Amino acid sequence: MKKLSIHPFRNAVPVIGMLISVLFASCKNEATLPVDFTEIPEKAEIFPDYQGITIPANIAPLNFMVKDSSATEYVVHFQCKNPSSGQSAGELLTAGGKDGKIMIDSLQWRQLLTACIGQQIITNVYAHRPTGWVKYQSHNLYVAREPIDTYLSYRLIEPGYELYRQLGLYQRNLTNWDVHTIYENNRTYEEKNNHCINCHNYKNYSTENMLFHVRANHGGTIMIQNGKAQKVQIKDSTIITAGVYPSWHPTQDLVAFSTNKTGQTFHLYHPEKIEVMDEASDLLLYNPGKNEVSHILRTRNNMETFPNWSPDGKTLYYCNCELDKVLDLEATPDSMIAREIALRYNLTRYSLMKIDFDPQTQSFGEPQMVVDAPARNKSITLPRVSPDGRYVLYTEGDYGQFHIWHKSSDLWVKDLQADTCYALKQANSRDVDSYHSWSSNGRWIVFSSRRDDGNYTRPYIAYFDKKGKARKAFMLPHEDPEYSLLLLRSYNVPELTTDAVSIPAKDLRDCIYGSEGEKAKYVKK
Amino acid sequence: MSKNPHYKSTAKKPPVQKAVRTNEKKPRKPLILPILPLFFLMVWAWATVYYGDVFRIARENSFWVASTEQMKFILDQSYGMLWYVGRLALQLFRYPIIGGMCFAGLLALCSWLLGYSMRLTPRWRWIQYIPALLYVGYISKEGLNIFFEVETGRILGIPLLALGILLIWAVIIKSFSKKEVPAIVRIPKDETPMQNRLQLCVCILGLAGCITFTQQCRPYVPVITKMMVGQINQDWEGIQKTARANADLSYRAIAAYYAMALVQTDQVGDRVYDIRMDYDTLHIVGWDNTYNNGNSLYIPEGNYYAGLVETCYHYTFEKMVMNGPSSHGLEMLVKCALMRNEWALAEKYIRILRQVPFEGDFCDKYGAMIRNPKLVNADPEMANIRQLEPLHDSFENLYQQPTFMGYNLRLFEARSINAWKNSLAVCLYTKLMPDFLQRLQPLAGSIPPENFADGILLMTNKYPELNKMFNGLDFRATRMSGFMQEIQPFMKDRPGFAKELFPKYKGYYPYYYFFGNLKATKKPEPQKQTSNSGVN
Repeated sequence: MKKLSIHPFRNAVPVIGMLISVLFASCKNEATLPVDFTEIPEKAEIFPDYQGITIPANIAPLNFMVKDSSATEYVVHFQCKNPSSGQSAGELLTAGGKDGKIMIDSLQWRQLLTACIGQQIITNVYAHRPTGWVKYQSHNLYVAREPIDTYLSYRLIEPGYELYRQLGLYQRNLTNWDVHTIYENNRTYEEKNNHCINCHNYKNYSTENMLFHVRANHGGTIMIQNGKAQKVQIKDSTIITAGVYPSWHPTQDLVAFSTNKTGQTFHLYHPEKIEVMDEASDLLLYNPGKNEVSHILRTRNNMETFPNWSPDGKTLYYCNCELDKVLDLEATPDSMIAREIALRYNLTRYSLMKIDFDPQTQSFGEPQMVVDAPARNKSITLPRVSPDGRYVLYTEGDYGQFHIWHKSSDLWVKDLQADTCYALKQANSRDVDSYHSWSSNGRWIVFSSRRDDGNYTRPYIAYFDKKGKARKAFMLPHEDPEYSLLLLRSYNVPELTTDAVSIPAKDLRDCIYGSEGEKAKYVKK
Repeated sequence: MSKNPHYKSTAKKPPVQKAVRTNEKKPRKPLILPILPLFFLMVWAWATVYYGDVFRIARENSFWVASTEQMKFILDQSYGMLWYVGRLALQLFRYPIIGGMCFAGLLALCSWLLGYSMRLTPRWRWIQYIPALLYVGYISKEGLNIFFEVETGRILGIPLLALGILLIWAVIIKSFSKKEVPAIVRIPKDETPMQNRLQLCVCILGLAGCITFTQQCRPYVPVITKMMVGQINQDWEGIQKTARANADLSYRAIAAYYAMALVQTDQVGDRVYDIRMDYDTLHIVGWDNTYNNGNSLYIPEGNYYAGLVETCYHYTFEKMVMNGPSSHGLEMLVKCALMRNEWALAEKYIRILRQVPFEGDFCDKYGAMIRNPKLVNADPEMANIRQLEPLHDSFENLYQQPTFMGYNLRLFEARSINAWKNSLAVCLYTKLMPDFLQRLQPLAGSIPPENFADGILLMTNKYPELNKMFNGLDFRATRMSGFMQEIQPFMKDRPGFAKELFPKYKGYYPYYYFFGNLKATKKPEPQKQTSNSGVN
């Protein structure tokens, strides 16, 4: 009998090779469509919920997680059929491991979506349970004909606090996973440099003209035009604070701002955690070219806020709260107004208003009521006019103006042509649905929703069809579908643009740190 | 003992041989100790027994997961990778005995390599322990600031960096020198007993110096952290024992954790004044060396155990915003979310915590409560808190701060008698006797807890009818009248005599009423600046 010789190194090589191949095999799941399976009556429980949604053909792969505690591997089959021939127009097969993460190949996804524009993709999810393969009920994806604007910019910020340290503005390419940092404040805390950034805003869905605010140290409004950043101070003794909520005029070099005296307080025993209230607000018109600011509306009885221009630039929509309906203004000293409003926070309601604007003379008409929400014990905020000028998309809740913390808040539209208002039921959820913006083609809306856990806002995208109805919304896809569950920050102020922000973060930093900012000249009109 | 055939002694003839010549009796072998292993053991004991709770709390205030995406907030900083590794090593302090071993091992290895790299002769070998001892000294000097609003990855990151540098240095030395690397565990044959003892003395004195410094200058550091560990372990008896054993130490954090333990064991009316409450200042600074009163050491927990779950969530989150996520912070958020039936939110935090080493037990226990309110309410800690929750909503800023005090000062409707007792206890603590009297009605006809009874007796001169409202006051009245006579000579300088009288009247509310917490009533502590607050 031949003696078995064991050479440690020589024997180690195949063993190592085998281990590596086992490792690779366990990492990469080969997708093979199960032949032998049992069809079960349930739909797969997936996160994010991408079932029955309408998607743009240029969206990044909708990676998701399947929740099935007993399954050890998964196969997902996407297929769309040519409606006329019944033949397969495109299909994609992908697999997932025990963690249930379905990571779709970007190239194959792009091919699938391109092949399936205007059609539905049938999605079948298979799970391998100890008893064998099961097939869930299939679900569909509808691929819209209209693409979504490529870039989504947002602020990442922890939800529900007063102090701040590190936050930033970012821009995501919706067609892939690229994230670009527009501007970030300091990673480590520096007392003298600590500042907040907010209210990033663009003119006509393009980053050529954009702005954002810096608060606290190095504060000011950063105006970016023609690739150059400039800090300005939109302040005056007659202006309540500074420019706050902005809206670029679509044709002229003008920006409408609200100026708000805002306070935040924390609930003691309430599911909404935080209430943000204004005690005063007015509307401003700022001319960046001349660095001049004037009041559009300045009243004590009314709190005007959230300005938004119509696409023709002839109408400014805004929200208004009649303060004297909330409290007895005559009997309340100015120093007590904030406290009195806090005590009546759930009676503070805003209506949708508009005011005509003559671009030639740069003069405004008289305020007109558009939607009297307080008459229905509701409150309207954040009007955004659609690019075709037909719809005003807004958030409606039971009270207040900071609906991002109000569970009652939903997206609504006012059809200016038909003079009707209705909720976007398909897109809304039982939790907060608020801050929203349009895509430049008017077919997509992106908004902030707390529907997943009631606390963290995530961007949701919904198709807005030609009849003015929104379809079921879907969460911004991430490469790792678990990403948003692990992220301890909220997506704030999602804004769609057609192009990328080109100004480097360093230039913005230099601008913010470099000067105090030029003070805008106040012009009385 | 290691026997290294290549080892060449650099010492002259050892003195022990001289002794053999002059002494005819069998020579007594001089004791040469392996100092490096002893140093390791001493530092291990220090880091486990004496400073273990401090390191444990540092670990709880830190956060580490393997995902570089989730740790980007650290990795993007200067030295980010070092802090990342330092935070990983700090996780071992979940069990201080293991963490202490790691810490001691790092310092011992650094000392060993330093001795080799510097080619220290036995005469100067004590020098190799100095940097490690200085680091222990630095940790002691920093006190609570090793974890409070600082990068916690530094604690073990700095020794790790030192070890890396020394390793490189040693490799270079080894490449150019024939000098052998001495074994770590060995009886050094080249040392004289005097040299050996000198090293031992340096190590012992160095560590003793650090302990003495802590006892003299930062005595509250081990005490506060021990109580914080007690809170994490829900060891309410242990917290009380620690507080009473250190009754002379008067710091707000100690008082706060003690009060939490009393609330949890329903003794808030009886034992609050067993500790001194004059409140010395902590040596603590915030981010960027800014002023900090250390209130965030206990405010989230204080609110939680007072039933103010939303407020706890708020302040826990404030801490996370300023300091980044932490294991303990996430645990508090899980508990708050469960208490408020926010199941998806609790699930989210548990998902994150599951990735943190050693958090499995916590996740299993609290993960089972998701969508199971019965299990939440069956938990003793949560059940106690549940009965303290407010009946109605209002806003935090309508109350004096901290909210758990301000809220209880204005409580007019309570969910349980325990909530009522908390309100009475806060009224007594703040010496707001009219508010205290206003809230006594629910206890009428009963024998009130000791502190409450003494509070009532203080007011009976003004309101004699109080005597009829409660039972069991008479026998305490004698002590009260005696006390009032005894303190007369001290009333002229109450702040001056407060500390002197404390041992005699420890636990007695009238002493506190006249002599306790006088500083706070005169000079309010500055509040943390909120210029960097915003609407989000």
